[in-house]
Amino acid sequence: MRVNVTNLTFGYDYRTVLKDISFSLKSGDFLAIVGNNGSGKSTLIKCMLGINKIPNSKIFLDDIDITNYKNFRNIGYVPQKFDDFNYEFPITVNEILSASRYSKLSEDDVLLILDKIGILELQNENINNLSGGQLQRVFIARALMNKPKLLILDEPTVGVDKENVTAFYKAINELNQEGITVILITHNLREADCHFTHMISLHNGEGVFKEVVREDE
Amino acid sequence: MDILAVSDPFIKALIANDFLQRALFTGLLIGFVTPLIGSFVVIKRLSFIADTLSHFSLAGLSIGTYLITVLGFVWIADELYLAMIFSVIGAFIIEILRGYYQNYKEISMPIVMSMGTALSGLFISLSGGISLKLYNYLFGTILTVDDGFVRVITVVTVVVVLLLVIFYKQMVMISFDETYAKLLGIKVRRFQFMSTLILAVVVSISLATVGVLLVSSLMIIPVAGAMKVGKSFKNTVSIAILFSEISVVGGLWLSYELDFPTGATIVLCNVTILLSIGIIKYFINLYRLKSDKMTTT
Repeated sequence: MRVNVTNLTFGYDYRTVLKDISFSLKSGDFLAIVGNNGSGKSTLIKCMLGINKIPNSKIFLDDIDITNYKNFRNIGYVPQKFDDFNYEFPITVNEILSASRYSKLSEDDVLLILDKIGILELQNENINNLSGGQLQRVFIARALMNKPKLLILDEPTVGVDKENVTAFYKAINELNQEGITVILITHNLREADCHFTHMISLHNGEGVFKEVVREDE
Repeated sequence: MDILAVSDPFIKALIANDFLQRALFTGLLIGFVTPLIGSFVVIKRLSFIADTLSHFSLAGLSIGTYLITVLGFVWIADELYLAMIFSVIGAFIIEILRGYYQNYKEISMPIVMSMGTALSGLFISLSGGISLKLYNYLFGTILTVDDGFVRVITVVTVVVVLLLVIFYKQMVMISFDETYAKLLGIKVRRFQFMSTLILAVVVSISLATVGVLLVSSLMIIPVAGAMKVGKSFKNTVSIAILFSEISVVGGLWLSYELDFPTGATIVLCNVTILLSIGIIKYFINLYRLKSDKMTTT
């Protein structure tokens, strides 16, 4: 998915959180958004998901103004925390994935995704029995259920052990190599062993967008 | 075995009496539909809403009594229909208030409950005190339901089940994760409106079984028990329905044998199942803990 953000300024009440942010991504790009707490990272993501309402002509997804954009199923989103999910009531991984699936993904495709994310053996497991790392991967699988063209990950490895973090970023790199545009929010770039193509460093709502040139290229 | 079954006074009475057959059929339908809706209510942590709506229905019952007995509006036929309308009105008020107090959504419940209780108090007084019929509605009147009401309950059950089958994915997603449901393009407000409406109708028809004061227990207690033993969402809902149906049949049978009030006995059966699960789970966990200790030493 192509993403264009042009001079985006956004605030809550009288406080400006994002100041004049601009960047552009083409299909298959991988953007890292870095910054301290309160720098505006999550606010930027909420603008891109249509949760924060913004004026016309600021964000374009595949050349469509986000204010007119209808198909948010093209965006896979993995939140930082699962506070919004009521996961004390029994529900299996398969049941969550099937309730989230609106694409014509076959059962075999779903199994392939589960295998790639490393949760194939957990498909009939009640999510109350899963660890933080396993739960995180379930939510990535959920984000992939509608064949997304853009994957947005908001600090997805917070509270996940090191072994799972490595497996997690391996899977994300593979998905990106398949052509999915990825936006990753992180405060720990060293931990994120990813093939970033672009980076935004946010500080007090102001961002510097730059292309990443890899040393091995 | 067959001879034993037929020799049971309850079975004999059931075969001989239409009113008992109607009561059992009504109970089974309500026992099916209430935990079905109750599961979604529990997931969304809105257990208090059923109690709120039943109290608001009481206002409908008392206004109905006033209109029929004092003003002579006999065409209303049964106060229960007015209770149904009030339950729906109460649900709409809750939805409006939940939208108004975005960060304090639970405020809507005590406001609507107080309003319902105050209106009930006022109209009971205007009607010259609590009538026997109204008193029966406080604790349920399943043994007196007529054919007309059985038809209403059947239609409501069929409509609720159909809606849940058609919109199963949306309802599950909205209940478990509203934010993600919005991202998936699900019209969350529209579905919330529909589910609140269903809830209101189910609460009002359930008044006939266990009454205003106990109606929320039909929705919540079987689900609370099933949550402790269910392995998946569908499995948990099925177990909740099973617990509920056992309580309905057991409650009717016991109330007949022991001459206990039916609604209260059904609810007490539900509570007994819940407590039994808690005790059994406790001993299973204790046994597992001991087994683990044995293997480590």
